[in-house]
Amino acid sequence: MSQTRWRQINDLFHEALARDPAGRDAFIDERAAGDDELAREVRSLLASHHRSGGFLEAPAWEVASGLLADGEGAGLVGRQIGSYRIVEEIGRGGMGVVYAAEDLRLRRMVALKALPIEYTRDPRRRERLQREAQAAAQLSHETIATVHALEEIDGVLFIVSELVRGRTLREELQDGPIPSNRLLETLIDVASALAVAHAHGIVHRDLKPENLLRRDDGRVKVLDFGLARFTPAGDAPTMTKATEQGMIAGTPGYLAPEQVAGGEADPRSDVFVFGLLAWELATGLHPFGSNRSSQIARLVELSEGRLVTLRGVLSLAGLDPIIRRCLHREPGLRYPSGEALLQDLRCLRENSRGDWMSADGLWWWQFHQWGVAVLLAVMPILAWMIRRWVGPLGPAMFFTILALATTAVTLRLNLVFTSRVQAGRLTSHHARLFPWIARLELGLAALLVVSALFIAASHEATAAALIAIAVVTAASILVIEPATAGAAGIRQG
Amino acid sequence: MSGDRQSLDSLLPAVYQELRRVAAGYIRRERPGQTLQPTALVHEAYLRLMKDRPDRWQNRAHFCAIAAHSMRQILIERARARNARKRGGAQPRVTLDEALVAGGEQSFDLLALEEALQRLAALDPEQARLVELRFFGGLTVEETAEAMEISPATVKRHWAVARAWLARELEGRTGA
Repeated sequence: MSQTRWRQINDLFHEALARDPAGRDAFIDERAAGDDELAREVRSLLASHHRSGGFLEAPAWEVASGLLADGEGAGLVGRQIGSYRIVEEIGRGGMGVVYAAEDLRLRRMVALKALPIEYTRDPRRRERLQREAQAAAQLSHETIATVHALEEIDGVLFIVSELVRGRTLREELQDGPIPSNRLLETLIDVASALAVAHAHGIVHRDLKPENLLRRDDGRVKVLDFGLARFTPAGDAPTMTKATEQGMIAGTPGYLAPEQVAGGEADPRSDVFVFGLLAWELATGLHPFGSNRSSQIARLVELSEGRLVTLRGVLSLAGLDPIIRRCLHREPGLRYPSGEALLQDLRCLRENSRGDWMSADGLWWWQFHQWGVAVLLAVMPILAWMIRRWVGPLGPAMFFTILALATTAVTLRLNLVFTSRVQAGRLTSHHARLFPWIARLELGLAALLVVSALFIAASHEATAAALIAIAVVTAASILVIEPATAGAAGIRQG
Repeated sequence: MSGDRQSLDSLLPAVYQELRRVAAGYIRRERPGQTLQPTALVHEAYLRLMKDRPDRWQNRAHFCAIAAHSMRQILIERARARNARKRGGAQPRVTLDEALVAGGEQSFDLLALEEALQRLAALDPEQARLVELRFFGGLTVEETAEAMEISPATVKRHWAVARAWLARELEGRTGA
């Protein structure tokens, strides 16, 4: 096609576009005057014009932001940098470029991650990075990829860390949720890493499936502790600048609301992100939806105090309350640090013995608790009604029953509360409280029987009712309670 | 942009670094109902670079043109590199489907767009430049008009037809 031809097409295109759609076809034919190719071309362009909607309307850097994140520095493989020989590229993309390299001095394999050139220029930023690297290097735990050193080679800063080989959990998520038999162990590994780091005053700030690596032996290691915001992962220069200016640092889908609001990340921010991660690992779906904009939207809603519905269904009843506690909008209502979170997860593991608490069973158990509580509440009322028939011991009987029943109700309701708020501790809590509940209720049953005997001669029907209630109470303790607790997955001590 | 190819090339890295930095900041601050303002982005990068070395820029339009061109070069280079890594240079190529497109689920091949844009440049260099400014530079109609020293109405006309043509070219590719 020639430039003149293109002009011609352009002119007719605009003239036709200015016309009423109804008369457009006739107009094109008329103006093309037998030039079928011209008419066809203009019609096809007009059709494309109407179809193309938002085509090219969003600027390139927005639609191709992933490309912008691709780091420079390819082609280092095979070369020697300082005392490191680059063996292969092991990670790229969201994480920047990470190489496996041989440390020629210590004869060991390490992971090398190049940092953006800005760090070598700005002494203040460099100093801060140095400090953070020193702190991160203190962390040594089987669930943390240890940072060995921060090295400057030919004007470029490299983070040298333990080389971990394996699959990131992001890759695992592509095959769906983490199977339930390894989910809890996975979460415990991540929480252990957080617990150790938080105890050292180090916050991860950038937990995400890409930063979690499962080794061949099944254990998970957390990468980039404390250094996350310095790595090319999130455009490090902006990131540091952003942190300085109180802007958001991190990956949108894995941020705590207070980070969106521009606040500093603390251990509780890691806890929040752990909640998001745990949900995603358990269900295979990010709780705020799969795309970046919906994640940002949910996060902003949350940071503004609005309620947010989580995507996906969590069928693991025991894990649900733990995740929900992590995901509290208010940092103060979350686990204060990785340690508390880890404790609950460990409790859950011990209690579930590999089986998850059944949500259905838990419902029945809770229903049973409420039922017994009502029954217990009725007892003092009955005792009040019959206190005169019992004789001089009546008031004493009433007060004893009142005291025992209120105590038992309190303990029962406390168990229900625990099952809702801290399911992870339910079994141990149940094991501690239940013997007392059993004694109290069997005692109550006995008192009811004694009262019934006192009044049997004068008030037969009431006595029978009392005995019935006593039998139901005893049966509830001895038969129903163990059955429903078993169904709920609460281990019997 | 007037002919000064060498100075343009020497400015690209600085502009690119700045754009990337600013863009990343904007994307992070993105909120529903208040989408990224591309022009604000370019302005911010421009102001920072102006503060840094005011003598390097003739005017804002000059800067925008360089920014757009730099963005195009970098994105295309990276798309090529990524494809090379994935499939030894063969299809399929990078598609822009990162769900950030304003309207939703459109996705297309950045390298196919680049090829089509080069064909468009043969037909109409001015339209190709306009697409570079609008799409790669993120300029508004008014800013494009200013940078190209033509009227906003002309920008709109060129944009409509160039966009329709490019969309059809890309459809033809993916449809085949």
